[in-house]
Amino acid sequence: MEQRLGNTWRMTVNEKKFIESALESELRVDGRRPFDYRTLTIKFAREDGSSEVQLGQTHVMSFVTSQLVQPYRDRPNEGTLSVFTEFSPMADPSFEAGRPSESAVELGRIIDRGLRESRAVDTESLCVVSGKWVWSIRLDLHILDNGGNLVDAANIAALAALLTFRRPECTLGGDDGQEVILHPPEVREPLPLIIHHLPIAVTFAFIGEELMVIDPTHHEEAVMGGRMSVTLNANGDVCAIQKAGGHGVMQGVVMQCLRIASVKAGDITSKIKTVVESYKTERALRMVKRHAPSNAVDVNEPDQKAKQILEGQKLKSEECSVSQSDDMDVEQDRINKRSKKNRSFTGGPSSWDPYSEGVNTDELEATLASRGSVAVPMNLDNLGDNIRDETKSDEPLSDVNPVSSSTDTAGKEMSISREKTLQDAVKPKNKREKKKSSKIAAV
Amino acid sequence: MDPKPSMTFIDKPVDHDTITVIKAGILRFSEPNKYWIESSHKRFIPTVGDTVLGIVVDKRADSFFVDIKGPMVAFLPVLAFEGGTRRNIPKYEVGALIYARIVNANTGMNPELSCMDASGKAAEFGLLKDGYMFESSTGLSRMLLSSPTCPVLEGLGKKLAFEIAVGLNGRVWVNAEHPSSIILVANAIMNSESLTPVQQKIMVERLLDRVN
Repeated sequence: MEQRLGNTWRMTVNEKKFIESALESELRVDGRRPFDYRTLTIKFAREDGSSEVQLGQTHVMSFVTSQLVQPYRDRPNEGTLSVFTEFSPMADPSFEAGRPSESAVELGRIIDRGLRESRAVDTESLCVVSGKWVWSIRLDLHILDNGGNLVDAANIAALAALLTFRRPECTLGGDDGQEVILHPPEVREPLPLIIHHLPIAVTFAFIGEELMVIDPTHHEEAVMGGRMSVTLNANGDVCAIQKAGGHGVMQGVVMQCLRIASVKAGDITSKIKTVVESYKTERALRMVKRHAPSNAVDVNEPDQKAKQILEGQKLKSEECSVSQSDDMDVEQDRINKRSKKNRSFTGGPSSWDPYSEGVNTDELEATLASRGSVAVPMNLDNLGDNIRDETKSDEPLSDVNPVSSSTDTAGKEMSISREKTLQDAVKPKNKREKKKSSKIAAV
Repeated sequence: MDPKPSMTFIDKPVDHDTITVIKAGILRFSEPNKYWIESSHKRFIPTVGDTVLGIVVDKRADSFFVDIKGPMVAFLPVLAFEGGTRRNIPKYEVGALIYARIVNANTGMNPELSCMDASGKAAEFGLLKDGYMFESSTGLSRMLLSSPTCPVLEGLGKKLAFEIAVGLNGRVWVNAEHPSSIILVANAIMNSESLTPVQQKIMVERLLDRVN
């Protein structure tokens, strides 16, 4: 008598016949049409760089981590990206723990190729010291439930994780200026990766002679004769095509698949972007809340007026006021210098155009002198970096930046008219930062 | 078909007259003094007298090996058919779907099936052709087999014509004229497990409205 595992899934001839006959009338077993995707859910964990994707019954998790390593000899100023897949035995009875199976390796390769060949992740920005230290990004994919079409789900999970991942900021320092100092996230805000575009994988299953479906389920995969995955982005660039054996298809069919896939890629890209944006705003809010309770009393008044003027750019003004109060603790002796500078500063960055008005040389000398004389405190730099980073990257908060500068302008104008109090000592901080950042932007 | 009284589920300590439950599920009662726990699992524990849907996985000289979602593969003797002789052994290929009855289910041994009822008649047992089979939990199977007819089947039966075979091992087979009807019935049943009777009725009505 044979002793076999009772939980192995077996296919009946009835099912095979039925799937094919239903497809002839353009029906799929779960009620979808041939070119419909299942419902896609993308979730994030508290940590940066981890995502969980559910595509129908398929469940995939992805984690991104980074490490400083030595670069490859032939690419001394580029970081590296490596993809690891783990097919957990809880996902499917046919998955075994231990060495990755052929399909696991294939999945990893498809995702890796989609990201690497198309240069979606900017590796040159990952270089710290050319030839010595670069960032190595490691992407781990865990398959939790195999409901079919692992490639697409894993790809979306990988992209979502990469978009929300942040690596620690590091600067050069030490005795010889060659040591790399890693800053913990509490000290300096970690930086996101630079991702140029999103390569989306779309999988087609060929069933029978002429039938083709998108996003096959586990049962459809057992019945299909061949499979093809195309990776392309929302701009219509084809990043990769994978067709490993199976049923042969005509070239016309391949072109048709590419056309359909580009439409689907557009949908999925917009879905990923929406979810990532809401995660980022939530994350920023979370960071603000950490400081809010201790400073609520002090900065309420200027805050209110700012809010009235802008009507609801709450996020950024809170953040500004919070950082103001942070810096209040740092030094009091430079307040006079700053207030002097304030009076000569006539407008925010939005109205200041160096090419038409020219640079005020006295002002410039004053700022350079003050910058050189005192050791710049960490918080100040943090704020400056924050603003600089946000102007560089394409985050949603970047469009709030010009708003924040007008907050400052508005706040400034109010403060000049009133009697000088400690509040004014706080305000100038922002203007100085704005000026500093605007100078950087101009230069 | 009655669920068995689950004396084995109840742990009765020697000293007291108390009964302790060791399995999670719905407590059911039947006159005059029968209590049992009904739970729903994806796994099937073979018991004598259960009717199940099995998939043929292998063929031997004297029996077919049939998978019934239990811990072991069951065997179906080649002669366990109405009027079965050595001359007319049915030719079942691997992957064929069989509706059969469990005659022997001792722990540790492979269960034995039969395609005859107790009196030796065929009684709908045997090969199921065409249609679509899907897997669910044992609780759903019991609900579908309960009398009076469960609301899902009643609602669907009013508008659609279909044929259904329910195995107590969590497998259900549906057949109808059109693939669309089959898909409709299958999805309606799959969605109905956790719904109350009223919700089931509403769900079926909505589904049928959407299609028509």
